Amino acid sequence: MDVVSVRALRGPNIWTRRTVLEVKVQLVDGAPLPSPAALAQLQSHLPQLALPAQNLRSGPLALPHLFERTVLALQQQAGVAATFGRTAPSDDPGLYEVVVEYVEEEVGRRAVEMARELLSSVLGGKGVDVPATVKALRSLDENIRLGPTTGSIVKAAQRRGIPIRRLNTGSLVQFGWGVRQRRILAAETDTTGAIAESIAQDKELTKQLLRSVGVPVPDGRNVSDAEDAWVAATDIGLPVVVKPRYGNQGRGVAVNLKTRDQVIAAYASSREEGSSVMVERCAPGVDYRLLVIGNKLVAAARRDPPLVMGDGRRSIRELVEEVNKDPRRGEDHATSLSKIPLDAIALAVLAEQGLTAESVPAPGARVVLRRNANLSTGGSATDVTDEVHPDVAARAVDAARVIGLDICGVDVVCEDIRRPLEEQGGVMVEVNAAPGFRMHLDPSYGLPRPVGDAVVSTLYPPDSNGRVPVVAVTGNNGKTTTVRLIAAMFRALGRTVGMTCTDGIYVNGRRVDTGDCSGPKSARSVLANPMVEAAVLETARGGVLREGLGFDQCDVAVVTNIGEGDHLGMNGIHTPSQLAAVKRVIVENVGAAGTAVLNAADPLTVAMAPACPGSVTMFALSRTVPALAAHRERGGRVVFLEGSDIITADGHGEQRFMSVLEIPVTRGGKVLFQVENCLAAVAAAMGAGIPFEAMRKALVDFESDFRRAPGRFNVVEHQGATLVVDYGHNPDALNALVSAIERLPHERRVIVLTAAGDRRDADLLRLGEIVGNHFDEVVLFEDACNRGRADGEVTRLLRQGMSTGRRVQKVEEFRGELVALEATLQRLQPGDMGLLMVDEVERSLNWLEKRITRATA
Amino acid sequence: MKILKTLVLRGPNFWSRRPALEAWVELGALDVPSTAIPGLYERLSAWLPSLIEHRCGIGERGGFLLRLREGTYPGHILEHVTLELQSLAGSAVGFGKARETSTPGIYKVAIRYKEERVGLAALDAGFRLLDAAIHDKPFDVAGEIAKLKELVDDVALGPSTSSIVAAAEARNIPVRRLTEGSLVQLGHGARQRRVWTAETDRTGAIAEWIAQDKSLTKRLLEGCGVPVPKGRAVASPAEAWETACELGLPVVVKPLDGNHGRAVFIEISTQQDVEHAFAAALQQGSGVLVEQFIPGNEHRVLVVGDRVVAAARGETAYVTGDGEHTVQQLIDLQLNSDPRRGEGDDCPLNPVELDDVARMDLARQGLTETSVPPPGTRVLIQRNGNVAHDVTDAVHPDVAAQLVMAARVVGLDIAGIDLVAQDISRPLEEQGAAVVEINSSPGLHAHLKPATGSPRPVGEAIVDLLFPRGEDGRVPLVCITGTNGKTTVARLLARLFERRGKLVGLACTDGVYVGGRALERGDCAGPKSAARLLLNPVVEAAVLEAGRGGILREGLGFDRCQVAVVTNIGEPDHLGRNFIQTPEQMVQVKRTPVDMVLPTGFAVLKADDPLVAGMAELSPGGVIFFCAEPEHPVLVAHRERGLRSVTVRDGRLVRETGGEQETVAALADLPLAAAATFHRENLLAATAAAWGMGFSAPETAAAFRDFHPTPEALPGRFNRFQARGATAFVDDCHNVAALREVIRTLHALPRGHRVAVYSAGAGRRDEDIRAQGKLLAEAFDTLFLYEDSSATDRAPGELFSLFRQGVESAERTPEILFHPRHRDAVEKALEYLPAGSVALIQAEDSAVEGAVAWVQSWAGRAHS
Repeated sequence: MDVVSVRALRGPNIWTRRTVLEVKVQLVDGAPLPSPAALAQLQSHLPQLALPAQNLRSGPLALPHLFERTVLALQQQAGVAATFGRTAPSDDPGLYEVVVEYVEEEVGRRAVEMARELLSSVLGGKGVDVPATVKALRSLDENIRLGPTTGSIVKAAQRRGIPIRRLNTGSLVQFGWGVRQRRILAAETDTTGAIAESIAQDKELTKQLLRSVGVPVPDGRNVSDAEDAWVAATDIGLPVVVKPRYGNQGRGVAVNLKTRDQVIAAYASSREEGSSVMVERCAPGVDYRLLVIGNKLVAAARRDPPLVMGDGRRSIRELVEEVNKDPRRGEDHATSLSKIPLDAIALAVLAEQGLTAESVPAPGARVVLRRNANLSTGGSATDVTDEVHPDVAARAVDAARVIGLDICGVDVVCEDIRRPLEEQGGVMVEVNAAPGFRMHLDPSYGLPRPVGDAVVSTLYPPDSNGRVPVVAVTGNNGKTTTVRLIAAMFRALGRTVGMTCTDGIYVNGRRVDTGDCSGPKSARSVLANPMVEAAVLETARGGVLREGLGFDQCDVAVVTNIGEGDHLGMNGIHTPSQLAAVKRVIVENVGAAGTAVLNAADPLTVAMAPACPGSVTMFALSRTVPALAAHRERGGRVVFLEGSDIITADGHGEQRFMSVLEIPVTRGGKVLFQVENCLAAVAAAMGAGIPFEAMRKALVDFESDFRRAPGRFNVVEHQGATLVVDYGHNPDALNALVSAIERLPHERRVIVLTAAGDRRDADLLRLGEIVGNHFDEVVLFEDACNRGRADGEVTRLLRQGMSTGRRVQKVEEFRGELVALEATLQRLQPGDMGLLMVDEVERSLNWLEKRITRATA
Repeated sequence: MKILKTLVLRGPNFWSRRPALEAWVELGALDVPSTAIPGLYERLSAWLPSLIEHRCGIGERGGFLLRLREGTYPGHILEHVTLELQSLAGSAVGFGKARETSTPGIYKVAIRYKEERVGLAALDAGFRLLDAAIHDKPFDVAGEIAKLKELVDDVALGPSTSSIVAAAEARNIPVRRLTEGSLVQLGHGARQRRVWTAETDRTGAIAEWIAQDKSLTKRLLEGCGVPVPKGRAVASPAEAWETACELGLPVVVKPLDGNHGRAVFIEISTQQDVEHAFAAALQQGSGVLVEQFIPGNEHRVLVVGDRVVAAARGETAYVTGDGEHTVQQLIDLQLNSDPRRGEGDDCPLNPVELDDVARMDLARQGLTETSVPPPGTRVLIQRNGNVAHDVTDAVHPDVAAQLVMAARVVGLDIAGIDLVAQDISRPLEEQGAAVVEINSSPGLHAHLKPATGSPRPVGEAIVDLLFPRGEDGRVPLVCITGTNGKTTVARLLARLFERRGKLVGLACTDGVYVGGRALERGDCAGPKSAARLLLNPVVEAAVLEAGRGGILREGLGFDRCQVAVVTNIGEPDHLGRNFIQTPEQMVQVKRTPVDMVLPTGFAVLKADDPLVAGMAELSPGGVIFFCAEPEHPVLVAHRERGLRSVTVRDGRLVRETGGEQETVAALADLPLAAAATFHRENLLAATAAAWGMGFSAPETAAAFRDFHPTPEALPGRFNRFQARGATAFVDDCHNVAALREVIRTLHALPRGHRVAVYSAGAGRRDEDIRAQGKLLAEAFDTLFLYEDSSATDRAPGELFSLFRQGVESAERTPEILFHPRHRDAVEKALEYLPAGSVALIQAEDSAVEGAVAWVQSWAGRAHS
């Protein structure tokens, strides 16, 4: 079995809303399943494979399916929550599509690789070490996935439906879209000030500020050298703490120093951490960590160093062994307690207390084995959130405020957190920016605290999920114009609109990227733009197939039409209904409060209605279109044309919106496909909550000229002839164009066109046929780029199609688009209609603009 | 000659509205005019020739030297020498004063300073210089000045921060340095903002972090359509070369996360150069980036908020060979000789130095720093070095919009954007221009001192970002001074703000309070407590008592106030300290807050205290007079001018503007007025101050109506306790005026046996203590005298004998008992109190808690 290709679908896709890998596997000679014995061995390590519900399929799908299950089982064993899988045959014999969910792409890809190796070893009768494989995968996942602090915030955001995007492989995560975006980096937010962070790093300045607002801090001072440290220590009174002035998280801090030697030694090691060293009074009591988020105390933990309690009988070594038998104390760092190491550091700490590992402490004596309470070296954290005295909580909030931190960990030393600090000589010893949450999320003892949720609530008020309105538009023809119309309606409302389409990316009318931008990358780019207040995203099939959607959910999904389909034969899409399944993805991912806007005259589009989790609006050129009538009958919303009026209606009645005669782009209502685009746009805008006034203004002002809608039915006069410039390139589009120009007055008709080589022969023949039936003169051209066909082949097929045409008089061929356009212009006479089907839109329009101006001038 | 004491007056003070030093100079035998010291004039004018600029006395150039020649005193000379030394060190200030004190031979010399440490060092150097000049000893003038200059460089704010501070000051926003570095607080309390060079408190830590990560920055910019050079991170020299070929030569090679243009190699085209650059760049950061080379000039564009506020174009440095000098020599001759180039902050351009990058550029031209280029060859020295030509007005609007977007997507509120473009007045895309870097905390120097073009008001732009126009970052601030009643007025005003839901910071002789919580107890009526409250980010309104001691010692703890209240001067307390001998001199101290009233604010003054009423003309804002007697001439005159006053009519507290009257409350409804007659004055003052702060009459009345003189609300201010048929008042009176008021109030009570527990705090004149002894003898039957623990300036028994002298001068002779410890005196007095008696229990000076607690417990015990 070979893995031919692996593709990551990073957004909702034709299979599922989750992120999946689409793996193509090639089977050699319909390879059988491994032997029952080998399979059993595999199942013994991957119990997921043995579940009855996972009963493996038989026949040719058996091995690909086993592969799918193995990829998922490996991920699950490694601690990844991936469950979705599908296996299907492809068009090619022996080639199968295996779809498996992933959470982290790199982990998913590694799991695919590992599953392939495992199966090939098993099939080859070789032994496998499944536990080692799982361990490797787990460690990869731990490296890549978000740490516990960031993870807790991200999960909280996801619970609130806030979109998430990782900006790097570390802890930098972006929430929300457009203007509503926020960022976090572990336990820092985008409002965590750089200055505040610098202040927190400077313990002397921090103390000064804390003291000024009445937060108790330990007495002490900066010292200039080791000798001065000892002088300070004796002034302050022993025991003392020695620590570097700059830095945090306890590096270089020595506590409970009682002798000159200890102070001198501690000075040296503090000095290594920074330029300046402080000596402070050592406050008696226990270490607490108070977590302040957004001016509220949200969690508190007591932090105990690893310790054993004497029983007067056993040695310290024996007591440590006893404690380490606790099953909660794991070997790795994933659990809330770790084993207490009796290592060199522990022995040194014992020595300070005049003890050795063999000493037998008295009953009830507490023997400390580390000076810090780090969880990874056997320390423990006990949740005490509910016990914190309100005064102590208020002081922690004061501390955070005066430093200026929105999220901060305050280290407190006191005897009893249930009493005010002042009463007991308790002090706040340090303020930490970007505090770790693990001790609150997964304390050794006591309740976990929802600290991630607290961070999210500082980022977003309760009623916000960080989204901006998103309208996705797909279909065969009319997408770009519909996108532009909807974008214009948002702009008329005063919103900064991000728009993606086949011409590029536009932010409030300014083009920020060029080329075909109808894919997920462009969508993500618009949603990441900090200016964007609303997004209108053309969503072409290619991107959906390649990568899935660039967003997890939209408010409005518009499907203009499917018709006879376009680009059939590519990417395994052979029929219009297969194409519909791809385009349906946006409809499937409408939010529950959202709307799908569907063309009632297009059966494949109408058929998408049940897939929409929200409501459906149908549009059509007439109220008599059956699907529209039926939808309205059921109380659904509809938008249609009656006479020259656009009417909107729902269960409560109907309303005349405006006349198409007021909408220039329809050319007095004569260009019906533009009327349809307007209906779709109106329906979409209603779904997005845009008021009629803004919609009307946008439609009245919308011009379909070269600049604003390049290649979208641009109509210009040229020396008495009418030119229609369009980018339509499939039979449906050409039919629509023909019916549009038929309504405009003219005598002779000339068309200039080419066709892309990636269309099926049948489509090219059909195009030729339409041309032959409706035009008097035809100018054909080919360009360098034939998308996989031999020179002359496209022209030959078009000519073949035309041969059955009833109207065509004359056909000429040229090499190069501009040459063909020039030839056409020269052939036109006053009163003629020229349909210019441009291919390289931008270049041709620029040329035409200059050519026409020159001719006029 | 010696300096007895040097005070650092950090706020508005006796001498000046600005910080100043006050040196007490004892001249001894040198209390003679300069003419009596041979050679002094010659030596000083030779050592410090620039003294010619001092205009002193006659008000024109040479004025001081003329005085020196014709005879002036050494204190005055010290003042001018110290000022001049500060000027020469680059920290010019223009104010000084020298005054005789009441003690012959002792002068007070006041000298302004910009930087405290510079001022002190200049005073020290000035003193030694003067001493040397007087005694004709050698003195290293140049050396001392050099040392001072170094100190100025060390402690003065850099040009970027200075421009922000100056802009804030121009907008009347208070400024305070929080560290010796560049961390500065603008504004007060809850309205404060902070800056640290060109970073604000809204500059995000994450945004800074992103700006450091060049590849992430590029990705974010690209996503928003901001053009950036294409390129990617590479892991090996081979990959660097491969990438360079892919991108198209020439390329740029630089560290992934470095800063300040170190090891950035531009326009390199050969495999050897690329590989060498890779190695050098790797040392500066955690990885290496290979990018397209973008042709054009380096520009630095400063984005503040949503605007481009300045843009500067860089200058490529070339030298031209002459066939004689080496490259290094040519650099010094042709480039570094430019007067604009230098090391100091005043120089718009840095000297050109050959670094790695420049050496590589040279190598590519076949040269080293020691090569001698042939005559006429142009040698490229520095491609991206000095950004200096202001081009702000040329920036194309599309370019500005894109750069604002760039700063926004990174998340920086202030960003320095490095842009390579041939012409910043054209859109970037059409010229293949690109943004190459975004810097947080950008230096502002290039925009403040461009080599050509106008300086740009970048400090102003940053201040505008922090404080929208019309906001000055101030919280309501009222300052209360005077002899008696300060604390009561302060507490009344604090109550008013509290009722408005404001978190009040209160500093008074009882302690420092924030939102009612005591941060500290004891006498906190000084500048440190005031400054501390104004630093606190929760404080929404500040009520600050300003005692005489603090003003004299350190000046005020704030720069300006909305309202300054002077309750009274009367017979001033604490005379005789700090050479303040007369009530008139005390006026000079207590006027300080009045001098600092904002133009929109008010001075609240007692009309019937001539020393106070006379301060009216000092207020830069308005004046509200208060006086219980509505027809007092001062009040009448003020009223006739249509101005505000507060008085009592028919037992009602009224606010009057000209002829208009508005009743605040009936005095009978105010518990404080009922408790003691002297509180009426406090209520008048507080009502006037409340008016000045914008409180309405009903708001004021509501707050005062439920203000009772309980030990909680007003500790140590005539708190009344009763037990076993006796009444005890705890009060903090410590001077003649206060004692007289208390006695007057006691007289209104039914006559019983009268007892007083009494002493005097530190710093009182003998005559004042005797006067109080006399008053006590006349009003009380039994006196329990003690020794106030603060009175360390007195020998044991001294206070007792002073009081006794006072008592003996009285008509009546009361029984006198002496218990040195306050607590013993109080306990004995309480035990002694017969039924029907009335006792005045004095609290120790500025430590009211003890007495209040003991008497409270006495009353409690008796009841239980």
